[in-house]
Amino acid sequence: MKAFIQMLKPGDLFIIVLLLMISFLPLGYFYLQQSGDGDLVAVISLENEEVQEINLSEHEEDTVFDVDTPDGETNTIEVSDGSIRIKSATCSDQVCVRTGFIDQVGQTIVCLPHQLVIEIQSQEPGQQSDVDVISS
Amino acid sequence: MTKNQRLVYIALLASQAVIISLVERAIPSPFFFAPGAKLGLANIITCMAIYTLPVKDASKVVLIRLILATLLGGTISTLLYSGAGAILSFIAMLTIKKLRFLNISLIGVSATGAVFHNIGQLVVASWIAQTWAVMLYLPVLSLIGILTGIAIGITANYLLNHIEKLHYYMNLQAL
Repeated sequence: MKAFIQMLKPGDLFIIVLLLMISFLPLGYFYLQQSGDGDLVAVISLENEEVQEINLSEHEEDTVFDVDTPDGETNTIEVSDGSIRIKSATCSDQVCVRTGFIDQVGQTIVCLPHQLVIEIQSQEPGQQSDVDVISS
Repeated sequence: MTKNQRLVYIALLASQAVIISLVERAIPSPFFFAPGAKLGLANIITCMAIYTLPVKDASKVVLIRLILATLLGGTISTLLYSGAGAILSFIAMLTIKKLRFLNISLIGVSATGAVFHNIGQLVVASWIAQTWAVMLYLPVLSLIGILTGIAIGITANYLLNHIEKLHYYMNLQAL
């Protein structure tokens, strides 16, 4: 151990701290971009097709509405105070209902049996949503 | 150092680097939680080349290693990734070594090489995926990279101090 400390020069510590800072740079950059003035938008999609967009930041009163699948199944969605949830659903596992309210960028509610996805995205004011990030 | 001696030395280092990277590919990655992270053992040879050879010859060692290691068990896409990583890290290591006023030992040089290797790879990855979001993976990779880089630096330090033939070559070069 003593030999190791002798081997490690002060310049090394400096460069290692610098490298650590460089490596967290993209994280900080993306965080700043995400937390910008963009509005929160909940995108509801059914079988990979977008059916409805709700601007959560500007939404004030409580709203409850139904989204019907082609098979005649129903998800009841509730929007309240900048957050969104599936209030009730006719699916078997009820995972989507138990997810509860979501209100952060990137959070999702998924109802697999109905292929219904609600995702919260960040949107610049007066601009349509960008192309989704696709990862393999 | 005669021309032949230099050629033999470059060839020796390059072949060692190729063998080491092939052996490393055969070992399952110890970092199961971070796909893509690896030990970077071949960096030992790059460090030794940088410290014992002139820049021109050290870059030959790196290029030969890249091409041979790809031919012996890589694909075009691995050549893209590791090529970008290796060239960027080689340039970064040379630059860091040149900054004498910082008083940096092999450990710092090797850690720099590891981090810039990751940066190079991720830049190529984000170019292929067409999104900068890939760069978000950098902190995970470079944390592991800094740790393995320190270990590799210590190893290369011991090698440089204890291999007698190396001193023979270095003396030849001084002549």
